[in-house]
Amino acid sequence: MAYEAQYYPGATSVAENRRKHMSGNVEKLREISDDDLTLVLGHRAPGSDYPSTHPPLAEMGEPECSVREVVEPTPGAKAGDRIRYVQFVDSMYNAPATPYFRSYNAAINFRGVDPGTLSGRQVVEARERDMEELAKFQIETEMTCPALASLRGATVHGHSLRLPEDGIMFDMLDRCRLENGTVIMHKDQVGRPIDKKVEIGKPMSEAEAAKRTTIYRVDNVAFRDDKEVIEWVHAIFDLSTKYGFKPE
Amino acid sequence: MITSASDTENPVQVEIFPQRFLKPETAKNLINELSAVDGIMRAFVHGPRLPIEVPFGPAKGEIVDHKFREHISVADEDLELTVLVGRIRLELANEEVKQKVQEICDRVISCGFDLKEGLFLQTKQTVSDYARRGPDADPRMLGLADPKGKVGNRVCLLRSME
Repeated sequence: MAYEAQYYPGATSVAENRRKHMSGNVEKLREISDDDLTLVLGHRAPGSDYPSTHPPLAEMGEPECSVREVVEPTPGAKAGDRIRYVQFVDSMYNAPATPYFRSYNAAINFRGVDPGTLSGRQVVEARERDMEELAKFQIETEMTCPALASLRGATVHGHSLRLPEDGIMFDMLDRCRLENGTVIMHKDQVGRPIDKKVEIGKPMSEAEAAKRTTIYRVDNVAFRDDKEVIEWVHAIFDLSTKYGFKPE
Repeated sequence: MITSASDTENPVQVEIFPQRFLKPETAKNLINELSAVDGIMRAFVHGPRLPIEVPFGPAKGEIVDHKFREHISVADEDLELTVLVGRIRLELANEEVKQKVQEICDRVISCGFDLKEGLFLQTKQTVSDYARRGPDADPRMLGLADPKGKVGNRVCLLRSME
């Protein structure tokens, strides 16, 4: 029987969502065009060629190396793209993803990515077209709620603050707005105004966000309710303590 | 040297803590209603800052034009909201005023709120305040603005003290 990877223990909806994010088996909820994505990322003009830092690998003549023969380069590496980043911020108020699970998703399901996990934000650096592939995946699927998560390259403040009355996570640079029930971005991820309003999608209802979240909260699914998770957390803690113990 | 803004009968300090940040319209209604209540001696509006320009990063210097940065009119004074209203701290003359504040909050804030009693505003001048503001500083200004900031720009007197 083929081995099936088991990503996360637990029987609650939060544990199930964590498994979904890690395995990449997430539901697609919306679409964002390539040009719109390029516009909000702000690294190059939409429709323009990818600038490169070196010639395509095929033209460079790589040295003989068994590892290079085994590992197929990513499309971005093949073409010699620049390294560029995408950064997400997820609200503590039942946002679907958290920085850790965005990183797990990136590291497990995408090649050539360098995820950086911080308390309130998550950044991924990769070759430009590889990064765009990942950004598109995470924005279009249930990993992102347009109201509770946003693209923020700089000035990420807001993830731990109460939500404003309109339910859109506070942003000091006002990149996202709710217009006619849809969240639009009228600035790129660092806060520079862009030429058009990019529709990101409709916000999830409170009930739907609570259903899709990967965050344990006492007012939704409490961490202590998930007995299997607690058991594993205790087991790992126990083992790491014992293996770290070194009597002289 | 020690002068207190709370040298009245039984001053009470309360904090209004809404469950969500208030949009400018709700904040305006709330502040307006509170400004009409007799017995509120000092008020402090707190929340995350809404800058005019992007302060740092690649877009530094770009105009933000924040949707929440609005001018509101309170007791015939024009105020610009430089923060998104997250909590309002009040110094009240007595317990009866607290009841009025509670009623106003019940009426205006639709998203739920906490009204906590405690010590939220500075009441005594510290040595640093003395060094910064001198011996004749107005005790009502204590704790209302950043001592390093320009006090005149951020503190608003709605009613002169008789």
